[in-house]
Amino acid sequence: MRCHQFRHSLTRRDMLRTSAGGFGHLVMSAFAARSGLAAPAAAPALTPTPVGLPHFPARAKRVIFLFMWGGPSHVDLFDPKPRLNQDTGKQLSGKDVGIARDQLGQVMGSPFKFAQHGQGGTWISELFPNVARHADKMCVLRSVHTNGSAHGEALLRLHTGQANLVRPSVGAWVSYGLGSESDNLPAFITISPPRGHGGVQNYGNAFLPAIHQGMAIGSAETPIAKAVIPNLLNKRIGSGLQRDQLDLVQSLNRKHLSNATADPGIEGLIGSYELAFKMQSTMPQIMSLDDESKSTLDMYGVDAEPTDNFARQCLLARKFAERGVRYIQVSTDYTWDHHSKVKEGHVTETAKVDRPIAALLQDLDQRGMLDDTLVLWGGEFGRTPMAENGDGRNHHPQVFSMWMAGGGVKGGLTYGTTDDFGYAPVENPVHMHDLHATILHLLGLNHEQLTYRHAGRDFRLTDVYGNVVTEILA
Amino acid sequence: MTMRFATLVVSAMIFISKGDAADAPPSDPVAGRSHWAFQPFADLTETPVADWSQSRIDDFIAARLKQEGVKSVPDAGRKELIRRVYFQLVGLPPTAEQTQAFVENQHPDALEQVVDQLLGSPRFGERWGRHWLDLARYADSNGLDENFLFREAWRYRNWVIDAVNADVPFDRFVLEQIAGDALPYDSIEQRDRQRIAAGFMVIGPKVLLGNDANNQRMEVADEQIDTIGRSLLGLTLGCAKCHDHKFEPVPTADYYALAGILTSTQVMERRYMLGEQRVMERLVGLGQDGDALDSEYERYWRELPQARKKAERAKSALEFLKKDDAEGLKNLVEKNADALSDGAKDATQPSEQRIASQNQLIAELDAAIAQAPPIPPRAMIPSDVDKPADESIRKAGQFNQLGEKVPRGFLQVISTNNEIKIPDGKSGRLELGQWLTDVEHGAGRLTARVLANRIWHHMIGVGIVRTVDNFGRTGELPSHPELLDHLAKTLIDSGWSIKALVREIALSRSFALSSEYDAAAHEIDPDNRLMWRAHRRRLDPEALRDAMLMAAGQLDLSPMGSSVSYLGDQATAVGKNEVRRRTDFPNRSVYLPVIRNDLPELFEVFNFANPHATTGARPNITAATQGLFLLNDDMVMNAAEATAKQLLASPETSESRIDHMFRQILGLNPDDAERTELLDFVAKTESRLASEGDDNASLRAWSTACHALFSTSRFQFID
Repeated sequence: MRCHQFRHSLTRRDMLRTSAGGFGHLVMSAFAARSGLAAPAAAPALTPTPVGLPHFPARAKRVIFLFMWGGPSHVDLFDPKPRLNQDTGKQLSGKDVGIARDQLGQVMGSPFKFAQHGQGGTWISELFPNVARHADKMCVLRSVHTNGSAHGEALLRLHTGQANLVRPSVGAWVSYGLGSESDNLPAFITISPPRGHGGVQNYGNAFLPAIHQGMAIGSAETPIAKAVIPNLLNKRIGSGLQRDQLDLVQSLNRKHLSNATADPGIEGLIGSYELAFKMQSTMPQIMSLDDESKSTLDMYGVDAEPTDNFARQCLLARKFAERGVRYIQVSTDYTWDHHSKVKEGHVTETAKVDRPIAALLQDLDQRGMLDDTLVLWGGEFGRTPMAENGDGRNHHPQVFSMWMAGGGVKGGLTYGTTDDFGYAPVENPVHMHDLHATILHLLGLNHEQLTYRHAGRDFRLTDVYGNVVTEILA
Repeated sequence: MTMRFATLVVSAMIFISKGDAADAPPSDPVAGRSHWAFQPFADLTETPVADWSQSRIDDFIAARLKQEGVKSVPDAGRKELIRRVYFQLVGLPPTAEQTQAFVENQHPDALEQVVDQLLGSPRFGERWGRHWLDLARYADSNGLDENFLFREAWRYRNWVIDAVNADVPFDRFVLEQIAGDALPYDSIEQRDRQRIAAGFMVIGPKVLLGNDANNQRMEVADEQIDTIGRSLLGLTLGCAKCHDHKFEPVPTADYYALAGILTSTQVMERRYMLGEQRVMERLVGLGQDGDALDSEYERYWRELPQARKKAERAKSALEFLKKDDAEGLKNLVEKNADALSDGAKDATQPSEQRIASQNQLIAELDAAIAQAPPIPPRAMIPSDVDKPADESIRKAGQFNQLGEKVPRGFLQVISTNNEIKIPDGKSGRLELGQWLTDVEHGAGRLTARVLANRIWHHMIGVGIVRTVDNFGRTGELPSHPELLDHLAKTLIDSGWSIKALVREIALSRSFALSSEYDAAAHEIDPDNRLMWRAHRRRLDPEALRDAMLMAAGQLDLSPMGSSVSYLGDQATAVGKNEVRRRTDFPNRSVYLPVIRNDLPELFEVFNFANPHATTGARPNITAATQGLFLLNDDMVMNAAEATAKQLLASPETSESRIDHMFRQILGLNPDDAERTELLDFVAKTESRLASEGDDNASLRAWSTACHALFSTSRFQFID
């Protein structure tokens, strides 16, 4: 096979740097690599995955991250604080929460009722009645903390571990570490990603090869039903004529190639057209929900308000998960930032996502996929226990709640504690780097060993930080 | 496959394992001087003149080929060569007429004539200026957390293009960018040019919100050190921020010596933006009355909230007047004397008169509010802080953990003279700008090597040192160290003329080789490190788009000012802000908006430089998204249709039209088989479309054929 002529002259790293991309996973599938099958001559180069990965047996094969953009209020959702209600209107003193500054603001109690759910007795607010039914699948992390009190910095830290330097996103690292399980989909897909607060950087590949960039479907402000992948469809000519046109192009290209002999650039180009053409038919099929049963659509809340949009996003996430995508992010619009009217805001936002999330957990479970799918829920930070503008809450990176389900974490567990006001972590703080280390660990990747050489040094997702939270591993 | 060139591809890390500096730690700057990149230039007289050569460059290439027993391929054909020269020098293909003229010009100086003409063309700066803009991490927005628009950045972009066209000596080019605000000037125009040039220091991405001011200052310095280090010195200095460098001869003290210069420089200031005061890029008015206009503009926004309140009060007063509510009016005026117009103050006047006077005041106030002054012309500019000072080492790189103070200065490994003194009350930026190209006592030799290698990289496709941004121990070794020294010396001797070096390379035989495959040479040197053939290269997105627009007759070659003026202060369309960067300008692609995190799709898909950080070599990746773009994007299809319309405008046979189309798009004639294939395709497509009821089947068929040619590898590659 002709491509052998240049394949073996490249080092592994060269391959990673130059290997063809985008949906080149088509030919770079882990299947092809595992079975030792070489790709067709006209295909882009192979093998996206570093040799020897995963580092140890994985508990999860994939991640679905449900991102609540704007910052959900932990003290109104997963971290009940009776003291807030008792002290409502009083000034929160710094010494009560272990910091030097005083007069932090007026304490504001939660307007919502909490109850314990499941065997584990997990406390969940009344705003999540459907999610609460799955309490025993969930591990609530109450002690997550991050840096960055503005959305942009916090989003970048959540998604890339860094804010002042451009670093690969978590999904890109997972793609780099594990590759795609799919023959025709990239390893990392982000559904309705934010365009602001770091935008594409939040699913970017930075210095990793471009194949590891998340493929974006739509963007946060557009309903997913109207989302398009750019240039997936030719608006002027039908597919029959386009095939004829492509045949002409490829015929001219092959002639150029035969003059050039074994030119990886031209071979790559020829391959990229075939992949593109194939994608034009496969992607719309996957994106359509026509093949889902009425009961599934109803369970998620498709075609019902206010759930329709998030339901479609979650259902799409499950379809991608089924087809072997490694890292799938689903984002809400920028709607969780309740500087005023936190009560009304949280009632509205939870109503959009509660049923779809519960349905996703149930659906994955029914299909036997929850065991090896890690579902992660959370925002870029929490919200202050103190009032802002009378009835709102401000940004709060000091501590907030996230939860995980499935994929090798203990269900029915609540991990970490905060002080009486939900202001700061007390026991078992989990920094964003720890969260990242733990996600990689569940996927069978050692966060200290998953490195990439760039500009003269080895980089990793967690920089020089990060500890796996072993206590939550099932 | 042979491993003969292992030493070429293995990085210089090998030195470390051997321990090139005896017992000294890797960060020892004195021992580090033995690293090849810091060494004096080699004696270049040893390399013999080769018969094959057209230039001294070729002697070095020939010597290595001979040494390794590899024979180079023949020269490229004249059509290939002219296309290559045009693309590499000006980023555009030659027209069919220019190609024909060159092919027919038998004069021995034919190539020289073309090269000189292209070097003198304003198109040269648009191509080579963009190479520098990749390194300058040029963008029209801040990126990172808050993607605010850099409304004035385009002036810097155009300054770069103009400076490259004027062949401003590179040492001066650098100095103006590092310290243009501090240089003397003879005219306002010169002052403004230098101010704009110094935008280089300001244009980096910064975390803007919720950032501690001290941390922000250090982060800005880190970003500047990274950019200056990699773009000019080919050194990755960032590691020395937290600890003595583990690979490069850069102790932490050197890092903070540089950082002191940069933290003594400010590039941010508080200004009014989006209706509130924010920290944003530092700006200065341009032109004779620039400062006054800028102050007036800023004052308007600063005072707007007060002006609005004042107008509201005047309106309340009017209501009281109308209702004849003397008590209400008195209460209001007691607190706000300015709520009433002078003419309305006198209660003895008739009511109508007072109301009219008050109405007039309100009209004046409303008019002042409605008349925002136009945004004045401004430049992004750094300045020294009030009290420049040395910086403390930050332990483990933590901004709030102060260690020992270090005097401001430069890298010891490339400073043989400690005499450079930073005057009291100055940041040291001017001295830094001079040190970077100081051949005798500063980094000049290294900077020249790095630049010469970049020019080679852009002309040839691959650097002599392939890690173009890394000349340190973790970078690769040069494939032709003497050639690199020759190019660097030529650069310095020519007075740092980029054009002179481009010219020498363009006229070398090495540049003119065919890209043909040769089995014997490939067997020995599959990566073509010895330069036995030309590297076949894919067009970058700018050249790809420009070439399509040119074939379509749609390319507007006039330079462009701002391509982002219609955007609001928030550069990315988020939430209610629906205005997004446009790409539908007919001008060359170098003028398209570069919004960080929202690049034009074309740039995103075809490996444009990431504008968040200095980029010496763009990634070389082939992806399915590129296929989708070429198959389906409107811009491509519009260009194809316009090309087809031109072809159909003059009556000719289909055969001759196909020849015409090939020349117009690919710069060559089809062979017989290709002509037949195209004829069949057009005929079949036309009848297919006609049978589908298409009224315009002929145009559509020819458009589809032109589109096909745009999609070919011949169009997208430089052979």
